Amino acid sequence: MPDDRIDILRGTLDLLILKALSWGPAHGYAVARWIEQATGDAFPIEEGSLYPALHRLEERALVEAGWGLSENKRRARFYTITAAGRRALRAQVDHWERFARAVFGALSASAAPRRADL
Amino acid sequence: MTFPRLEPRWRRYLRFFGPDTRRDVDDELESHLAMRVEEYVAEGLSPAEARRKAAERFGSVAATRAECLAIARGRRRRAARAERLSDLWSDLRHALRALWRQRVFSAAVVGTLALGIGATTAMFSAVDAAFLRPLPFPRPEQLVTLRNIDIPFAPAGQVLPSRRPDIGAVGAVREIFSSVAAYASGGLNLEGAGPPLRVGVATVTTGFFTTLGVHPAHGRSFTGEEGRPGYAQVAVLSYGLWQRWFGGGAVLGRSIRLNDRSYTIVGVMPRSFTFPEGADLWIPMTVPLTFASFEPFRGFLASQVVARLAEGASLGQARAELRLLWQRAPAEVRASFPEAIADPLAPLQRTLLGDRRTSLLVLLGATVLLLLIACANATNLLLTRGAGRGREIAVRAVLGATRQQLVRLLLAESVILAVAGAAAGLALALGSLGLIRTLLPEAMNSVAAANIDFRVLAFAVVLASATGLGFGLLPALSAARSDVATAMKAGGGGATRRGDRVRRVLVVGELALALTLLAGASLMLRSFRALLETHPGFRSQHVGTLELTFPAQTPRAAELAVLDGTLDRLRGMPDIAAAGVVNDLPLRGGGRIAITVEPEGRPTPPDGGRPGARYLQASAGYFHALGIPLLAGRLMTARDDSAAPPVVVISATMARELWPGEDPVGQRLQSPAGLAPRTVIGVVSDVRELGLDQAPMPQMYFPVHETPPQNVAVVARGTLPPGALLAALRGAVRGADSTQAVYDVRMMDDVMASSLAPRRANTQLITAFGALALLLALVGVYGVVAYGVAQRSRELAIRAALGATGGNLLRLVAGESAWLALIGIGLGIPATYAFSRVLASLLYGVEPTDPATYIGVAAALLVAVLAATAGPARRAAGLNPVDVMRAE
Repeated sequence: MPDDRIDILRGTLDLLILKALSWGPAHGYAVARWIEQATGDAFPIEEGSLYPALHRLEERALVEAGWGLSENKRRARFYTITAAGRRALRAQVDHWERFARAVFGALSASAAPRRADL
Repeated sequence: MTFPRLEPRWRRYLRFFGPDTRRDVDDELESHLAMRVEEYVAEGLSPAEARRKAAERFGSVAATRAECLAIARGRRRRAARAERLSDLWSDLRHALRALWRQRVFSAAVVGTLALGIGATTAMFSAVDAAFLRPLPFPRPEQLVTLRNIDIPFAPAGQVLPSRRPDIGAVGAVREIFSSVAAYASGGLNLEGAGPPLRVGVATVTTGFFTTLGVHPAHGRSFTGEEGRPGYAQVAVLSYGLWQRWFGGGAVLGRSIRLNDRSYTIVGVMPRSFTFPEGADLWIPMTVPLTFASFEPFRGFLASQVVARLAEGASLGQARAELRLLWQRAPAEVRASFPEAIADPLAPLQRTLLGDRRTSLLVLLGATVLLLLIACANATNLLLTRGAGRGREIAVRAVLGATRQQLVRLLLAESVILAVAGAAAGLALALGSLGLIRTLLPEAMNSVAAANIDFRVLAFAVVLASATGLGFGLLPALSAARSDVATAMKAGGGGATRRGDRVRRVLVVGELALALTLLAGASLMLRSFRALLETHPGFRSQHVGTLELTFPAQTPRAAELAVLDGTLDRLRGMPDIAAAGVVNDLPLRGGGRIAITVEPEGRPTPPDGGRPGARYLQASAGYFHALGIPLLAGRLMTARDDSAAPPVVVISATMARELWPGEDPVGQRLQSPAGLAPRTVIGVVSDVRELGLDQAPMPQMYFPVHETPPQNVAVVARGTLPPGALLAALRGAVRGADSTQAVYDVRMMDDVMASSLAPRRANTQLITAFGALALLLALVGVYGVVAYGVAQRSRELAIRAALGATGGNLLRLVAGESAWLALIGIGLGIPATYAFSRVLASLLYGVEPTDPATYIGVAAALLVAVLAATAGPARRAAGLNPVDVMRAE
């Protein structure tokens, strides 16, 4: 179902953004770079979709934003994770870990289902 | 470098005026692209190649930008809303705190408004039920009642020709009247295992339910055949009777006995349907009518014809059509029904309201006046307080509150006061609902009673907001307008001459309106007293009464045996002075029969305009029990029975009209309606039986022993306490016939009181409004004068120091309040005159322009104002110059 995939992707993107910001304030480009490196450039998004995601997080008060200067003395908008953002991140990570463990456990199962269970 | 363009530097200064989201989004996206390009260039790509790759990697800039801007817009909207809300909250919090600090003031304003809003809301609930709210039927605007439409009558199997338009002729005009029905309210005895129960019965033509557009909740309504004479007897029950008599169980197909006749129940109406008033069940009215149709109606079937206009037909078309139908009636018939031809129909709602229209509108008008007084008073209180708050307002202004914010804050206070006043007023309205309902006729109350429903609540809320703005705006504006510097300098006071003038104008207005209401109230009170002093023609004290009904097929002798047995038992009791029977009690309300009569041998010329005489049947004891004096001749006796020559006792008015200047006793009268000639044996005094305010019409009493009536009221006078007297009456009937259902067991005083009830309610309400108006106006005058004395204490002290005596000062202050009162009275008299014209139709025994009332009320108002301001005036007289100067 394509809609589900988008939702999963969007949720995942939010999670990755929060994780990127958990190291400290960063501008959008730095977040993009971090995701690129941390996922081995395997995350299939266009960089442009990062910004609506950031702005929505800002609106949900999970991140705060303000103008500042980048390391190259360029004016850039910096994002900082809020306390609520950290809480959301923790909850999301938990959720993801459980989910991944379950899927992974199922995929690495060695026995076929018994008839009696069906 | 050829990196993406930077914004011009000056543009940054624009940010000073607030965030520019559009620019922010553009800047952010551009800076991202620029950094990516920088990185590609650093990796060794050509700038052009770097830009291409960066753009590819980014995706659509336009789409991203649009999405970001949409998010920003949503956020701005929410932020603005939140800000407005928090402003409102802080205003309300401030206002509540300020009002709490001045509890006495707040309570005074809330109380004032509660009276105004409560009275207006209560009256609105009645007016809403009476005029505004549609009747609870589908398309109620299509329902009309038709005047004097005939129902064909077949007394002996043969239909008499209709001399007036009949319901068949009306129903035939399909393109104007989609359906037409007749109904009449009466009563029958419902017989069961125990003693019979008197129930309200509506006899209705079979199209009744269809015309109104209502359907039974269970079973069916009447079929067309059931409306023909001689068909099986069927009945539809009301929800109430179904619950009371059958406990809500299965009833369809069961039979009930009414006045010794069996009826099959075919349906039960929904709980909400109670039309016409007092209907416990509905039975078909046969068309044509037969004698059996009259069973529930004391021999008089006061039918009402209701019709539903066809889709698209207007009232005007219907009226024209009915006039055409009347054109076909013989000329002498047309001459007898001029009103029906002039105004042949009325909307059902207006018919149900009857003659209460004027009194409701007058009372609503009175409450509006009261509300105006209340508002003026509240404005006055706020202005007075505003003057004392000049300093606080000035401080707020100095601290940066804009005028708009100040006005909003002050308005918030008045809106809170108004809402609190409305809440208290609603409680008041709820409490007076019982009284309010007596203003509407029963016919209206049973269909659409006055209620505090959503509409009335909405009305109260609108009223509260309007009054809150109305009385709050002026003080708020004047407080916010006041000059900061002057206010600070002036210290606590800071009152302006302009504010004083506004307060005086308001008080004068209050006094004028109060005078109007007081005069209206005193005219109504005098009418009511005149009514109470009107001799009804009988003495109601110590008289008990009850009613009973004999089925039509009861043999005459059997009925007389029950009546005589009852009366003998009563007469045998030592505490009973007199007892008798009559077919129709005076002041009972309901339909009456009158018959055209003329002296024998002197026929009334056609169209002679002789009013009919009331047809009554009585025993001699009736006159003794009710204290109706015999003026000449003798009363009837038990020997004046059907075997004796026919005789009649007539009233004084009838004697005067038929035999002016002659001795009526021994004369004979006849009726063109086919009454056999009979001899007048006695003349009794007139009785006001239609209402205390209605001149008595000619009355004639036939002996009960000649033709006993089907419906009988037994009356007994005795010195027993009411409970014992009524018990004796019941016991006497039970002793004579244990199976008789008695109903309307009550004291004659109560019959009289209930005939006066609507007028009493009108009078009580308008008197209450007048008293409240006076009270509020006096509070207003007191406030203005007391405040004036406080303001002028310095001036007064100087006068005292310069030799003015206490008496001088007293006269100065009292003179001022006298002036206010006199101007108020001067303005109030024309207003009163206008009001009394509207009131005229409600008055009895007093002229609407009665000079004594006007003078009396004006004098009373002047005295009341002087009394109310005596306190401040004495304070002025007692001022000690030294104290005042020291306090400054």
